Amino acid sequence: MNESEQSRAPGHHAARLRRVLAEDSRTAELGVQITVEGAAVHLAGPVASGRHKDELDRVLREAAPEMRVYNDVWVVEADEPGSGEELR
Amino acid sequence: MIRIAAVGDVHLDENARGRLRPALERVGRHADVLLLSGDLTRHGTVGEMRVVAEEFSGLPVPVVAVLGNHDHHSDAVPEVTDVLHDHDIEVLEGDSVVLPIGPHRLGIAGVKGFGGGFAGKCASAFGEPEIKAFVRHTVDVADRLRKALDALDADARVALMHYAPIPETLQGEPPEIYPFLGSYLLSEAIDATDVDLAVHGHAHYGAEQGMTPAGVPVRNVAQPVIRTAFAVYSIEP
Ligand SMILES: [Fe+2]
Ligand SMILES: [Fe+2]
Repeated sequence: MNESEQSRAPGHHAARLRRVLAEDSRTAELGVQITVEGAAVHLAGPVASGRHKDELDRVLREAAPEMRVYNDVWVVEADEPGSGEELR
Repeated sequence: MIRIAAVGDVHLDENARGRLRPALERVGRHADVLLLSGDLTRHGTVGEMRVVAEEFSGLPVPVVAVLGNHDHHSDAVPEVTDVLHDHDIEVLEGDSVVLPIGPHRLGIAGVKGFGGGFAGKCASAFGEPEIKAFVRHTVDVADRLRKALDALDADARVALMHYAPIPETLQGEPPEIYPFLGSYLLSEAIDATDVDLAVHGHAHYGAEQGMTPAGVPVRNVAQPVIRTAFAVYSIEP
């Protein structure tokens, strides 16, 4: 495998995209899971807003225009809790 | 009985304004105090911290916070800390606060914490200066936590951190990144002092419940883990 093929290996590709989402100031996202399979990239995990989910989509499409993006990120629930836990 | 509400990793920005507020308005029914375990913002900007301050101010219970790594991202720690102070939110970093809760005094010591890893799989201060600086920061932070806990004169003690003190509450995260998620030095500080509860965040895919080697309950209250606006724990002083 030559160097350019190696950098396109799925593991490297996922690692590169993970860095893009962390370091692009529009996303600054370290908490989503990224998996690459062939020409498909799959995003999953909880985020704080629907707008942020869309931003992840946009940044990922820019960074990897040749790939199909499946964005299964969800907005984390923020309801009132039920009863608490008693510690002793 | 002291009832402690806690949440971390809310990662608020303009787009997420108000998302916790309906539940927070009712926090007084659940708890006597609210702890924030860091990563309150996405980029650590003053603008984002203003959203945080508005979300968590004017509540019927005192609010005490530590900052997380995201809150450090814009190198504006003094400025974002001021924003919280201006809204009567206490921010701890190597220091503590004692709150009167009914007849009891609740002591809270807080630090951001740092990585480094856990027994048998942790970094040591050896080799390149970058590695030594990384480990030294963890050692310093854990030391400050120990001193702050030691100095607390209270009926019940809580250690508030962003990074994890034990690996149990990281379960669900890839093991390869544990050294970036916490340090056993934090749990050594907790076990060397008389702590009733340790609270942290940072590990969005971690588990809520764990225990230090000496048996102190540890709770990961990262919002994606607890999946509510806050979690509530009661302790008997
Ligand atoms: Fe976080
Ligand atoms: Fe964090």
